[in-house]
Amino acid sequence: PAARCGSAPTPAPGGGGAVELVAAKVPVLADHPLVQGPRFRKLKIGAGDRLDVKASGVFVLGIGHGNKLLTDLYNCHLTKVYTVGGLFGKATDDFSDTGNLVEKTTFDHITREKLERILAVIQGTNQKALLMYSNIDMKTQEAYELAVRGLIRPMGKSPPIITAVRCLQFALPEFQLEIHCLHETQQYLRKTVHEIGLELKSSAVCTQVRRVRDGVFTVDDALPRTQWNLQSIQEAIQNCQLKVETELERTL
Amino acid sequence: KAARRKDRVFVWGFSYSGALGIPSFVRPDAGWKKPRRIQATPYRLETEEKISSAACGYGFTLLASNTRDITKVWGMGLNKDSQLGFQRSRRDQTKCYEYVLEPSPIPLPLEKPQQTRVLQVSCGRAHSLVLTDNEGVFTMGNNSYGQCGRKVVEDEIYSGSHLIHQLKEFDSRVVQVVCGQDHSLFRTKKGTVYACGWGADGQTGLGHYNITSVPTKLHGDIAGVNIIQVSSYGDCCLAVSDEGDVFGWGNSEYLQLASVTETTQVNVPRHLPFKIGKVKEAACGGTGNLVLTEEGNVFVWGYGILGKGPKLIETAVPEMIPPSLFGWSDFSPDIRVAHVRCGLSQYAALTNRGELFVWGKNLRGCLGTGRMEDQYFPWRVTVPGEVVDVACGVDHMVSMVRSF
Repeated sequence: PAARCGSAPTPAPGGGGAVELVAAKVPVLADHPLVQGPRFRKLKIGAGDRLDVKASGVFVLGIGHGNKLLTDLYNCHLTKVYTVGGLFGKATDDFSDTGNLVEKTTFDHITREKLERILAVIQGTNQKALLMYSNIDMKTQEAYELAVRGLIRPMGKSPPIITAVRCLQFALPEFQLEIHCLHETQQYLRKTVHEIGLELKSSAVCTQVRRVRDGVFTVDDALPRTQWNLQSIQEAIQNCQLKVETELERTL
Repeated sequence: KAARRKDRVFVWGFSYSGALGIPSFVRPDAGWKKPRRIQATPYRLETEEKISSAACGYGFTLLASNTRDITKVWGMGLNKDSQLGFQRSRRDQTKCYEYVLEPSPIPLPLEKPQQTRVLQVSCGRAHSLVLTDNEGVFTMGNNSYGQCGRKVVEDEIYSGSHLIHQLKEFDSRVVQVVCGQDHSLFRTKKGTVYACGWGADGQTGLGHYNITSVPTKLHGDIAGVNIIQVSSYGDCCLAVSDEGDVFGWGNSEYLQLASVTETTQVNVPRHLPFKIGKVKEAACGGTGNLVLTEEGNVFVWGYGILGKGPKLIETAVPEMIPPSLFGWSDFSPDIRVAHVRCGLSQYAALTNRGELFVWGKNLRGCLGTGRMEDQYFPWRVTVPGEVVDVACGVDHMVSMVRSF
C-alpha cells in the first residue's frame, strides 16, 4: 500500500503543552479500492477461432494488448487438433446426433480396417489440396524440401484442409478420430463424419467435437471453469508467453 | 448387405495409339464429341473378365485374365508388327488391323485351351510375351533381333502375320517373363535367367554383343544364384536374388552400372555392391533404376528426373527417397512401399495402403496427375479404389484397382 512521509503534530515527550513535529509514515488513501473503485472496469477481450455451441475444448482469448498477438497468430496458419466422436447407423440433417433423423442403416460390415482405408483416402485428397493452395511452384528444389519435411501449408485463404486423421477408438457403433486441420469450421468436421459414413456404405453422425489443440495452446494450458480467476489467468498468460513468441518468430 | 469389392481397370495417358482401349477417344461416337488426345487422369476401362495381369508396351497394351475360358488375353493399341496377334479386319477378311482401338481377344494356339491359365504378360517395343502355367511361353511381334525366341528370317514382314511362336525348352518351369526394348528375359523356377534378342548394349548378358535368337542361359555373377525377380524396360536389366543382392547388366550410359564399371555397356551380369539393406524388388526404366528394400524404402539411381527434386539429375550410387513423400508421418508410421514399377522415364510406387505415387517425365499426360508438367518428387494419383498393381509404358499407364 502506498504511503507518504509526512509530519504530524504529536505531544512532546516530557510534558508541558509544547507540540513538536515528528516525521511519520501515513498511508495514502488515493489508491484504495474503496476510494477509487474496482481496479478493472473494462477489459478488451478478443476471441481466437470460434467454437460452436455444440463443440467444446480449447478456446483462445486475448486480453488488452494481447489482441494484437491474436491477429499475428491467425496469420501463422497453425493447425488445430480435434477429437471427433461419431456413431454409425444414423444420418441426420445437420450431421450431429441432435438433429432430425433422416435415415437408419446397418453397420455390422464396418471394420477398423475399412475405416482406416477411408481415412487414408481422405488424407490423400487433402494432401493434394494442401499442395495446391500453398502456391508453391512444384518445379523448385524448395518445394521438394518442404514436401519432404511436411511443412507445406497454405499461407493465405483456403477452404478447410485436413492434414492428418487417425482413428483413436473403434467400438461399433461408436468411433473416435483425431483430426488435424486448417481453416475449418466444426460443421465441416461433422460433415466429414457424415461423408465417412457414406463412403463405408452406411451412415454416421457426429456426437462430439472437442478441440484439443489450437496452434500452440493445448488442453494442458487451458483453464477449466473453476479456475477463471485473476491469479490463474495471470499464471497461464506467463506460461504461454514464451511459446507464443517463439512460434511467431519462427513463422514471421 | 455390403456390396462386394469389385476389380476394375483404370487407364490414362496418350490415347491416339489406341493403347487406352477406349475407341471414343480416337473416333468419337457422337458428332459433337471431340477426340481426346490425352487422358490426364485415371479413366475406367470396362472389361469382361477380371484382369489379373497387364503390361504396357511402346504404344500398345496387353491385358490377361486368370480364367479357364477360351479368351484369356486381350490387346489394344499399335499392331503394325503383329504384337497383338492377327486381328482380322471386319471389312476385309484377309487383312489385319494396324491399330486396335478396343480390347480385342488374342487367339493363342493352346493345346488345352480350357485348362491352361495365363499367368503373366509382358510387352516390349514391338513384341509381346505371354506366360502360361503348363504350355510354356508364347511370343509374337517383331523378331528382327530374335527377341521372339525364333530364328531371324531376313526381310520378314511382321505386319499381318499369323505366327505365334511357342517356347518350351527351359531347365524348369518359367515363372516370370520380362520384355526389354528389343530383347526378352525369362526367369525359371530354379532361379536361372534366360535371354534372347538384341545384344548391342549387352542387355542379353550372354558375354557378347550379337543378337541371340534362341533363349540362352545367363552366367556371370548370377551363375548358381537363385534369382527371384528380373526387370527391364529399356536396354538395362536388373535381377534380385533371394538373399537380397542386386545384379545388373546391359546399358550403362546413364550411370546405371557405374558403381562397378566405367564402361558404358556390360554384357555379363555383375553384382552391384550396394549397402542399402536386403533388396526385395527392382525395376528398370530407360535411364534410371529403382529398388525396394525389405524395410520398405525406395532407392533410385541413374539419370533423369529421379524423384528427389529438380537438383538431382544423375547419380551412380542409390539415393533414398524420404518415406514422408509416400505419406509416412508420425500419425501413420506403418505406411510402407509395397511395389515399384518403371516406365521409360516414369516411376511408380504402390504403398501397402493401396495408394499410387508417380514421378518422372510427364510424357503426354502419362503420369495421371491431371497436370501436364513433369513431376520431380512422388505425387499421389487420385484413383477411386485401392490400387493393386500398375503397369507403366512409354506414354500411358494401366492400373488394376479394387473398389472400396
